[in-house]
Amino acid sequence: METAIEEIKVKSLKDRVIDLIQEDVPDYLNKFVYCMGATPLVLFLVALATGILMTFYYIPYPDKAYASVEAITHDIYLGWFIRGLHKLSVNLMIFTLFLHALRVFITRAYSAGELKWLIGALLLFTTLGMGFTGYALVYDQVSYWGMTVVMNMIEEMPVAGPAMAYLLRGGAEVSEITLLRLYDLHTKLLPVLLILCIAAHIAAIRIIDFAKMKDEKGVHLFYPEHALKVGLVAVGIFVVMVNLVMIFPPAIGQMANPLEVASNVAPPWYFSAVYKWITIAPRQSALFALLLFSALFVLYPYIDRFLVQRGFRMERINIVLGTAAVSAFAALTLWNVLF
Amino acid sequence: MGVINDNISRRKFLSGAFMTLGLGFGLGMLGMRFMQFLSPTIKKQRFEEILVGSVNDMSGDDAVPMEIAGSKILFLKTDAGLAAFSRKCTDLGCLVGWDKSKEQFICPCHQGVYDKNGKNIAGPPPRPLDRFPVVQKGDNIYVKVKVA
Repeated sequence: METAIEEIKVKSLKDRVIDLIQEDVPDYLNKFVYCMGATPLVLFLVALATGILMTFYYIPYPDKAYASVEAITHDIYLGWFIRGLHKLSVNLMIFTLFLHALRVFITRAYSAGELKWLIGALLLFTTLGMGFTGYALVYDQVSYWGMTVVMNMIEEMPVAGPAMAYLLRGGAEVSEITLLRLYDLHTKLLPVLLILCIAAHIAAIRIIDFAKMKDEKGVHLFYPEHALKVGLVAVGIFVVMVNLVMIFPPAIGQMANPLEVASNVAPPWYFSAVYKWITIAPRQSALFALLLFSALFVLYPYIDRFLVQRGFRMERINIVLGTAAVSAFAALTLWNVLF
Repeated sequence: MGVINDNISRRKFLSGAFMTLGLGFGLGMLGMRFMQFLSPTIKKQRFEEILVGSVNDMSGDDAVPMEIAGSKILFLKTDAGLAAFSRKCTDLGCLVGWDKSKEQFICPCHQGVYDKNGKNIAGPPPRPLDRFPVVQKGDNIYVKVKVA
């Protein structure tokens, strides 16, 4: 305690902030595959800024929701650009989070850093939740029937399922209350949770330190070297994003019609595999498999440790499992898109 | 070893435990009330017979869609007379449509298929389509649905 007080006396606030930021960063982070974590962070900031802007026009009430999204897309000055950036940043964020998780999985960087993996898994699931609640707000056919189907899926989950579905829906049927709840989740609860997760993830890296890689010993400074590199990546992403939004401005589907299901109510690409999976596999077992997969994913560092103690060569097993997971995801997604 | 450094007296431990218990109880209560606030009250279900048309109106072979008091219904002549099928797919709650050429109910969400008697014949649906009771009084046809 006394030494801490002494330290405060000796060090100025500026020095302490510098100490907090200025920490050695391993050299392997210079390779792009290893610094994939900062990319979703940059994308999240884009989504946050554009999302806040859109809340000034969006009206979370069934008929008006669609009209307000349409107004943002077609009438409001630069609205299409803001919405396009928002949509694209979330898509890219989920994509880069998948890549980041895959890299950590393949290199087994979670060992000796289980906390980072656990927080990261929560972060990934929260982001997927943001994706779902986000596309529900558009209130087109995909939104409405997506809401209906997902709520019923939650209802089929064991034990807490029915109560949770009732709570989320705010009743027995999808209604204006459901939209308001998803809006609240998307613009308030989940962003707060996401920001806390990101802060905890970064704090965990600071406390536990970066993963140790074999034959990778060198370090460099966070600032200016690493910070500038992340900045460069951010600028690069932004240039690509602006171009993509220009070339593919955001579209909007048919307005939600509770009396008619459109012929195609397929969800965005990141849920395509799950969508195909629940369509082809028997329902209860499909849901059970999804829950089991999620649980195994979250607890994988501990499973890894358990298996290592029994002499398994996890480097190889992870490469096989990672390849299998990516192939299954790609196959189900393509199957859904093409047929 | 041997010396147990017991700085916490029994009194201190008990009062701490009591406080924690009280705090936990209080917060738990607060959380429970919170959840109760967020769960809307379940309304008592009431069923009513509602006139939908006369026998002549319903004599065609095609399915007639209707929305009565929030229930989405398809009327169709089955082997056992006129039936009022709920359009809600028994799988995950999408709406089924009637395919006249195939004589099947199709759910477009996950490709569930029911035959013309509402029996689930393909895809993920776990049970046949729900039915609403149809009552015929004279020339008039009534359907019994849930009203709010």
